[in-house]
Amino acid sequence: MSAGLNIPGGTVRDPGFPTERENYLTNSKGVLSWLFTLDHKRIGVMYLIGVTMAFALGGLLALALRWHLLDPDGTLFTNNIYNQVFTLHGAIMVFLFIIPSIPAALGNFLVPIMLGAKDVAFPRLNLSSFYLWIFGAIFFVMALCASGLDTGWTFYTPYSTTTDTSVIMATLGAFILGFSSIFTGLNFIVTINTMRPPGMTWFRMPLFLWATYATSIIQVLATPVLGITLLLLVAERTMHIGIFDPEYNGDPVTYQHFFWFYSHPAVYIMILPAFGIISEIISVHSHKHIFGYRFIAYSSIAIALLGFLVWGHHMFTAGMSDMTTIIFSALTFTVSVPSAIKVFNWLATMYKGSISLTTPMCYAISFIFLFTIGGLTGLHLGTLATDQHLHDTYFVVAHFHYVMVGGTLVAFLGGLFHWWPKMFGRMYNENGGRFSAFLVFLGFNLTFLPQFILGSRGMPRRYATYDPEFATLHTASTHGALILGIGLLVALIVLLMSLVRGKKASANPWGGATLEWNCTSPPPFYNFERAPAVGDPYDFHSIEWDEENERYVTVDPERKIAPEEEPTTEPAHADKKH
Amino acid sequence: MLPAAFSLLADYTEDYAWFPDSASTFSEEVDSLYYWITGIAVFFFVIVIVALFGFAVKYRKAKGMKAESQVSHNTKLELAWSVIPSIFLVGMFIFGAKVYLDMRSVPEGSYEVGVQAFKWGWTMDYGRGTYHPELHLLVNEPTKLTMRSSDVIHSLYVPAFRAKKDVVPGRYNYMWFQPTLATEKVSDEELAAATKETEENGSEWDFDKYQFTPDGYRFYDLYCAEYCGENHSQMQTVVVVHKTREDLDAWIKKYSSRSETESLESYGEKLYARRGCSGCHSADGKQMTGPTYKNLFGAQRALTNGANVIADENYLRESILYPKEKIAAGYQPVMPSYKGQLSDDDIDSLIAYIKSLSANAQ
Repeated sequence: MSAGLNIPGGTVRDPGFPTERENYLTNSKGVLSWLFTLDHKRIGVMYLIGVTMAFALGGLLALALRWHLLDPDGTLFTNNIYNQVFTLHGAIMVFLFIIPSIPAALGNFLVPIMLGAKDVAFPRLNLSSFYLWIFGAIFFVMALCASGLDTGWTFYTPYSTTTDTSVIMATLGAFILGFSSIFTGLNFIVTINTMRPPGMTWFRMPLFLWATYATSIIQVLATPVLGITLLLLVAERTMHIGIFDPEYNGDPVTYQHFFWFYSHPAVYIMILPAFGIISEIISVHSHKHIFGYRFIAYSSIAIALLGFLVWGHHMFTAGMSDMTTIIFSALTFTVSVPSAIKVFNWLATMYKGSISLTTPMCYAISFIFLFTIGGLTGLHLGTLATDQHLHDTYFVVAHFHYVMVGGTLVAFLGGLFHWWPKMFGRMYNENGGRFSAFLVFLGFNLTFLPQFILGSRGMPRRYATYDPEFATLHTASTHGALILGIGLLVALIVLLMSLVRGKKASANPWGGATLEWNCTSPPPFYNFERAPAVGDPYDFHSIEWDEENERYVTVDPERKIAPEEEPTTEPAHADKKH
Repeated sequence: MLPAAFSLLADYTEDYAWFPDSASTFSEEVDSLYYWITGIAVFFFVIVIVALFGFAVKYRKAKGMKAESQVSHNTKLELAWSVIPSIFLVGMFIFGAKVYLDMRSVPEGSYEVGVQAFKWGWTMDYGRGTYHPELHLLVNEPTKLTMRSSDVIHSLYVPAFRAKKDVVPGRYNYMWFQPTLATEKVSDEELAAATKETEENGSEWDFDKYQFTPDGYRFYDLYCAEYCGENHSQMQTVVVVHKTREDLDAWIKKYSSRSETESLESYGEKLYARRGCSGCHSADGKQMTGPTYKNLFGAQRALTNGANVIADENYLRESILYPKEKIAAGYQPVMPSYKGQLSDDDIDSLIAYIKSLSANAQ
């Protein structure tokens, strides 16, 4: 199939390019062929467009917030509008972007292909969960824009039971989005449990699948609690059942327990898939076996389980009993260990590797830098004494943005650049991609490093106006946000330009060994004709660079029939008798 | 060494200082714990970053080059880097919990102040009917705050004391601290100049501009740290730490009640500013969260339930004590009740003040 590659004693395996009939993007045409598609890849692409639009909206709101905070008295909004804008920013980013970004968009595309399967276990459920997402998103954004929600994305009672904004509509939107999330999780659990190809034992799964599996468990177990909480909130508002509102003998702190019982595990819904992506990128672009596969896989599961036990650290100043508070602090520290293990394992994977500083690798390096800061500053917040000072200040804002943006968003971008050639069959401009990674890194740090200091100096969060002594740091932060915005715009332009004038992507442009690199770029609509042979997903011994065609290929050892000679039909001992 | 380095840095770059004033017994403990954790974090961060960029540069190779090693695991090494950081975590947990328990154990015989939080202001209760939005304390005396909220969750936060506690409606939360650094009093000339300027402009006292209270004390900031709606960011007051008990008692006495010589009307105006009315009700007809006081008295009011009332003394009194009973059309029922927080004389004074703002009053 290939010319020029000189491998003694081996045959080169490369699937080549798909025909227009095979290519999942072109095998059927028209809007309806997309709207009613059951193909997980097309659904993944539609999710990708949806979450990108949600992210653009949330990001513009963030820029507006930062612009407003240039001046201590605010430059753009009244207090009321500011409160609505930060609520919108938080709610859109959490419910419409971060939670569905990696699992629903990239996960949908990758899970079946990484399994060598033709689709997810329940393709119709998959499409319905996409439509639930669309429906929930429209409902949610309309509710937020109709009368302006000003509760913050957390809907804390009794503020949310007494404000006259559209809490009920917004909670119903979040409720619908929750079902979309549960269906996707359920689908992935069944798919991974039942559709692994022969030879792919649990410990031969790519780590992205481990991460997706752990995420799906959380989605299925935790999201129903959010549904219950939101229904109780609606019941409290409309019927005054007296569970959250002190005016009817309820307790507002109960609401916080309910809410964080979902929303803390949800933090791991947001970050675990990012860990999965980084494990893939670091190993592939270092061309080296992932270090400590089992520790990484187990730590994903450990995080998923421990993540259910630490919700109380959001309430360290709410007035829980001292004993409860101390127990939650201890549990919180345990969940930091598995994350630390992963960082060390990634570094060990790079050690003595053959590192290509491609765009995805630049994003992955940026991720490790930013996520390490995000994780380490969590220690100040898990420690009870320092948390009493830092709770509900900008320190917390900076901390969770380092994890959610520096972590999840950067990993999402890294993953997007990593699998973009696979998804659309086009290579992008590497220098443009690296430049975007640099701008995002620079802008992000300039935005959020000053906020740590704002926090330790005592600036409370969710303030529309602030004391003049904080102005310098706020200004620095706003300038950083502008650079961050430009960086993201560059990334978008680089990717979109590739669709127009990008080079055709080979099946395996980075040298990966997981199954998705064994089918063409973009994959045919049926993914694989038959389930492929499965080996170690991080064994790069048989992956070779083909300079002439600028692609990586798999080299199979030369196969011969053994033994070469036909055995004799007569028994070997027959003549001994004579 | 690290804390010393940080504070040295802080002296040179006032705008970027890491912490506000250190003014309570907790602040020293919290700060040193913070620096200790930061030190450990920086240590691990440097290791990670040196490895990250070091490997990225050292092992960068052209495409097609094979990795030098394909080692896939090393259980001993992995156990080591799982267990060793955990030792530091245990340390952080123990020290953090210890200081936290101190913060939760109020010493016997503490000076007690009641705190009422409402949208969007604070009322400190000094006992015997003395209420004031500012928190006044005595240096080196342990002080306990017993806090309740009239409406939604607030959070009392004094950065200089490194102390914070949510104020939750439907329950009492408490906190305590011991101030160690008194706030100075400014010179009489400076105070007089500022007072004159404020009177001439006819504006409210500008704490940010003068950096001292209308009584001439320097102060620490007190913020609401839990989001509570529209004016959350303006729900601030000040903490003044007095040097002597006499000074504190004199200040309390000054605000305990209306003096013999003061008129109802002028005392009402003071209460209007001091007790949070001015946060929602304007005196000049400006549209705010609640109805304006200008020309209120004696006017016809349409209510949300469709009825009409004349805003007389009884209506005003009811609206102060039971604000959710009769809501003026076009407004939200957000005002907290002042029942038990205003004496009869206070209410009289407020009504007299409102009357004075109305052309309809006789």
